[in-house]
Amino acid sequence: MTNHWIDLKNADVILAMGSNPASNHPISMKWIMRAREKGGKLICVDPRFTQTAAKADLYAPLRSGTDIAFLGGMINYILEKNLYFKEYVVNYTNAAFLVSPDFKGPAELDGLFSGYNEKKRNYDKTTWSYQKDESGIALKDPTLEDPNCVFQLLKKHYARYTLDKVTNITGTPKDKLEAVYELYGSTGKPDRVGTECYAMGWTQHTVGTQNIRAMTIVQMLLGNMGMAGGGINAMRGESNVQGSTDQGLLFHILPGYNPVPNASLPDLATYIEKNTPTTKEPRSVNWWSNRPKYITSYLKAIYGAAATKENDFGYGWLPKLDVGQNGSWLMLFDRMHQGQFEGFFAWGQNPACSGANSNKTRAALAKLKWMVNVNLYDNETGSFWRGPGMNPKDVQTEVFMLPCCSSVEKEGSISNSGRMAQWRYKAVEPVGQSMADAEIANELYFKVKELYKKEGGAFPDPILNLTWDYGEKDAAGKVKHIDIHAVAKEINGYFLEDVYDTKVEPPKLIGKKGDLVTSFPSLQADGTTSCGNWIYCNSYILKDGKEVNMMARRGKDDPTGLGLYPGWAWAWPVNRKIIYNRASVDLQGNPWDPKRPLLKWNEAEKKWVGDVPDGPAPPMGTDGKFPFIMKPDGVASIFGPGLNEGPFPEHYEALECPLEENSMSKQRINPTIKIFGGESDAFYSCDSRYPFVATTYRASEHWQTGCMTRHCSWLLEMQPQNFVEISVELAKELGIKNGEKVIVVSGRGEVEAVAMVSERFKPFKLENSTVHQVGLTWHFGWQFPEDGSGFDSANLLTPTVGDANTMIPESKAFMVNVRKA
Amino acid sequence: MANDNTKNRKAILVTPEVCIGCRACQVACKSWNQLPGIKTKNNGTYQNPPDLASAAFNIIRYSEVPSDKNPVRWLFVSRRCMHCDDAGCMKICPAPGALYRTKEGAVAFDRDKCIGCKLCVNACPFDVPRYDVEGKVTKCHLCFDRIDAGMQPACVKTCPTGALRFGDRAELISTAKKDGFNTIYGEQDLGGLGSIYAFKDAPKLYGMKDDPAIPSSVIFWHTVLKPFAVAGLGGVVAAAAIHYLTVGPHKDEEE
Amino acid sequence: MAEMVRKSSSDEIINHWIMALSCILLIISGYGFLFQIEGIGSLFGGFNAMKTVHNWLGVVFVLSLLYSMGHYFKDALEYDDDDRQWFKVAGGYLSHKVKVPPMGKYNPGQKLYYLAILAAGIAIALSGFAIWLIQDNAGLILLAHLVHNLAFCIFIIAVPVHIYLGTLANPGTFQIMVNGMVPLELARKRYPKWMKAAGKM
Repeated sequence: MTNHWIDLKNADVILAMGSNPASNHPISMKWIMRAREKGGKLICVDPRFTQTAAKADLYAPLRSGTDIAFLGGMINYILEKNLYFKEYVVNYTNAAFLVSPDFKGPAELDGLFSGYNEKKRNYDKTTWSYQKDESGIALKDPTLEDPNCVFQLLKKHYARYTLDKVTNITGTPKDKLEAVYELYGSTGKPDRVGTECYAMGWTQHTVGTQNIRAMTIVQMLLGNMGMAGGGINAMRGESNVQGSTDQGLLFHILPGYNPVPNASLPDLATYIEKNTPTTKEPRSVNWWSNRPKYITSYLKAIYGAAATKENDFGYGWLPKLDVGQNGSWLMLFDRMHQGQFEGFFAWGQNPACSGANSNKTRAALAKLKWMVNVNLYDNETGSFWRGPGMNPKDVQTEVFMLPCCSSVEKEGSISNSGRMAQWRYKAVEPVGQSMADAEIANELYFKVKELYKKEGGAFPDPILNLTWDYGEKDAAGKVKHIDIHAVAKEINGYFLEDVYDTKVEPPKLIGKKGDLVTSFPSLQADGTTSCGNWIYCNSYILKDGKEVNMMARRGKDDPTGLGLYPGWAWAWPVNRKIIYNRASVDLQGNPWDPKRPLLKWNEAEKKWVGDVPDGPAPPMGTDGKFPFIMKPDGVASIFGPGLNEGPFPEHYEALECPLEENSMSKQRINPTIKIFGGESDAFYSCDSRYPFVATTYRASEHWQTGCMTRHCSWLLEMQPQNFVEISVELAKELGIKNGEKVIVVSGRGEVEAVAMVSERFKPFKLENSTVHQVGLTWHFGWQFPEDGSGFDSANLLTPTVGDANTMIPESKAFMVNVRKA
Repeated sequence: MANDNTKNRKAILVTPEVCIGCRACQVACKSWNQLPGIKTKNNGTYQNPPDLASAAFNIIRYSEVPSDKNPVRWLFVSRRCMHCDDAGCMKICPAPGALYRTKEGAVAFDRDKCIGCKLCVNACPFDVPRYDVEGKVTKCHLCFDRIDAGMQPACVKTCPTGALRFGDRAELISTAKKDGFNTIYGEQDLGGLGSIYAFKDAPKLYGMKDDPAIPSSVIFWHTVLKPFAVAGLGGVVAAAAIHYLTVGPHKDEEE
Repeated sequence: MAEMVRKSSSDEIINHWIMALSCILLIISGYGFLFQIEGIGSLFGGFNAMKTVHNWLGVVFVLSLLYSMGHYFKDALEYDDDDRQWFKVAGGYLSHKVKVPPMGKYNPGQKLYYLAILAAGIAIALSGFAIWLIQDNAGLILLAHLVHNLAFCIFIIAVPVHIYLGTLANPGTFQIMVNGMVPLELARKRYPKWMKAAGKM
């Protein structure tokens, strides 16, 4: 989230699209309802009439996988009707930037941007660049009239997304479409703010990243970024997924969103050079220019004294990706399926049910020599060898079960979607032999270290040099139990030497050796500070000589009345609740909307009042800095050349779709997605065997694959079985009665479910056809309830294909058939 | 007909318009009351268990009604004991203390005192009381134990949106009216309910019973037969006494 | 010692007292339930125990009631002109001066009383069993509850009248339900037609 949960109450218009907050994030609805009490309007756009739709002031259906068409139409509407916030757009976005005249878009190239390489399925992005002056600063036209400026290119691109066109793609009734555009477009006024809530309904598409990009363009045009009650808000699907992503869960990022090095970056200097953006724009803060400090402090945190200037701070010990290597979920399991892995830790996950195309995942597990299942319960993954279609005799995988304890049985922090890290305490002792994850990691680490010590091995250095000062050690040097505070403090970082600010005379002491670092501006690139994750620097600080766990704070004051609660726990970065908040003020530092004064420049005291500002620089009108400090240009990117499929989102159909043609262009599917060619990766479009669009989703009562919740009889009582929601019209066509058991089939597998026939799904009327859609939950699995009464996971149906940038699987739009069981 | 003991009556205000159907209330209730999970199956609806049960003191009813602007209108209504001021269950209950009025004006039960006659089930205008496996009455008791400890009922505490509110009954009603809810279901019915509902549409749309009433046979029994059972016995005894004193015992004629 | 005639057999007497005792206990516990009288409940060891006692006494009562049909039912159905005349003089209960026609073994008041108790008894028993045993039929259970209480009203009128007439109001009558015997002299006065039929007049 750019904003945070409570901030939803400040919105005038809330667009829930790609999410179903009422079912899946019920607490968010508390704040959405607060907004509504004050006259705010909730818009719900969803293929299905959801619980959120039931509460919405305006509901519009759309066919799964057509969000860009929908939002493209909105951009067009906003531009055509002059609803955009011009002052904001000109000053805070790259709308005025002039793009290379060689740049061509889908309007000219029938669905493609300039630079496409059909064989490699990727783009040469050379033409996706700005015209620059002699000093290297991008040329701009503040009148927004130059035909090559971003604004005019945007206009040209989205002029094709007319109401009629969009309606024929999305299946949304035209009046609904217009009503949504009009209502959301009303937030382009300075004193009106709109926010967007998305979740997996946007990310799990082959165009997932571009779905979100399309919305950021809307938000920038309307001046909603950085505002209280605005922003783009990812509603995270798991309570701590924000935290785990921050701490380097993904294959391509180290903690704090530093890129994972690859083989072309042999030393730290090259890594820094390649990964540190530069800018010639003097008024851009370009925060990532601090990368050297963050990566060096990170290396010092993990390798400690062994990391020296001479050995590149141990950079060589970091694992490297091959150039261009993708280590995301689908790729991992594809390789596992090809027998390229020996072992696998399924730690706190249930891939046999959660992974797209679960039959492939399950088959892949059988190719392993060993697997360790770390979980609260045995699950479909740990028991895959005795699952449906498996012959235990043929499976050679040795499975180990390590029971771990639940979140209430251990102490530590959880970071929610609003980037707020909250400290939690142990409520009860772990059950049986279960251990906290950190304790399991501790045992594992010392055992692996012992083996490396004893047996050597190919590359023992990263393990042998790893710091592990997390508590009292036994005679053999092993940490007995993990002190989780020691971990938190390592993440925050320490001064390893007395550190001075040498920019002032005489140099001023910033921090004493051994003290906790107060905040990331104090981090150094010379190895004199350590920091496990720079964005968490300031979460555990030294205050008046005492170490203070900021995440454990419980202050309930709300001085601004905007629900920032600065004394409650701690949000990264530096307790800033709304990022890019300097975009909430005009050039003089006065709030765009005086009713929602998130920040205000106090000229007398030369400081900002309100939220923790995005940097202390004064307002732009008084020789200050651009507000979007993480961007090299300092402004928000309406033109976004960073993504793989183009700088402007373009509508493409899902890999599996019901239409022969994309009515926007000749390009039916995203031209840059990876196509898996294996036998188990089959996909079928416009195939009479799989005539209906399907999507997957969650119900309130279960969590993810249901591993935890299916074992709770209270929850199972409310949602005991997998179900598929079907329109009355389709049920009639298929002769299916409400409540009867059916089988849903895709090109990859089939799953049983109870038919839930209702008016909540309606057929989509497109230009030349009627498209039916169904939806089912992925909470169930064969392993529990043990009688199989819950049926199995909907991911048996989903395709092996991912977003072109993130490789998040496309489980929200694929093709199926439904038949009576 | 507010009783003396219900002058400071507390109530739960249900506002279905704000309910999102998340069912946290169902879980919170089961958790606080330590009720077992019920083995259910999906019946083609989100509603589960299908109705109140001995192990389900509250449920969300999901109903679909036609809408002129959307494919459908989907309503979520919390169903539970209505805590009637004039409570049919309490009226018909033969066992003293088995169903009783808490000081907040709710109708609670005492398992030990319940004799398992099930009459309350049938006298309830809302079909609320249930019997557990041991044949004892169970139902929502407005978490009197939590209220005594200064807390809110478990369902109210957990409700994220304010669809369930707990407080002073009169205050809840006036706030709801101020908020534009022109129909307060249960404001007057059965002496005033302890579970009141704020509606903007007709309560019937939400599946609420029009004019809920205690069954007329129970009323007749209560107002006619019960007094007669005292008066009749007294009358007969008195008549016998008068007969004995005036007419006197039978005398067999002397031949 | 005066000559005696047997009016009631010993099994009739035993059955009468079983019926009487169960009936009275049922009425007492019934009052306990009706008005939630704690004192009555504790007499039975609490309301739970009282419910069990009440239910099973109901079984005892109805069995004895049915058994009593063998003793009284046939007689209770036969009426003659004297019986009709008996009604006109109200059985002589309201005045000792009226001329009461000669009666058989039972006067019509007794016979009707029996029929009323039989009907009310069967009704109260059936409705009681319905309340006890029927599940999930609110309409039927509420009907049973109403019938049970209506029948109860008959009992609480009829039973005291019966007790009074069998004791204070008719000296010597109580004896019949002790040993079954009536002095021949008295029997000839009270039940002349029965005595005549028995060849004792």
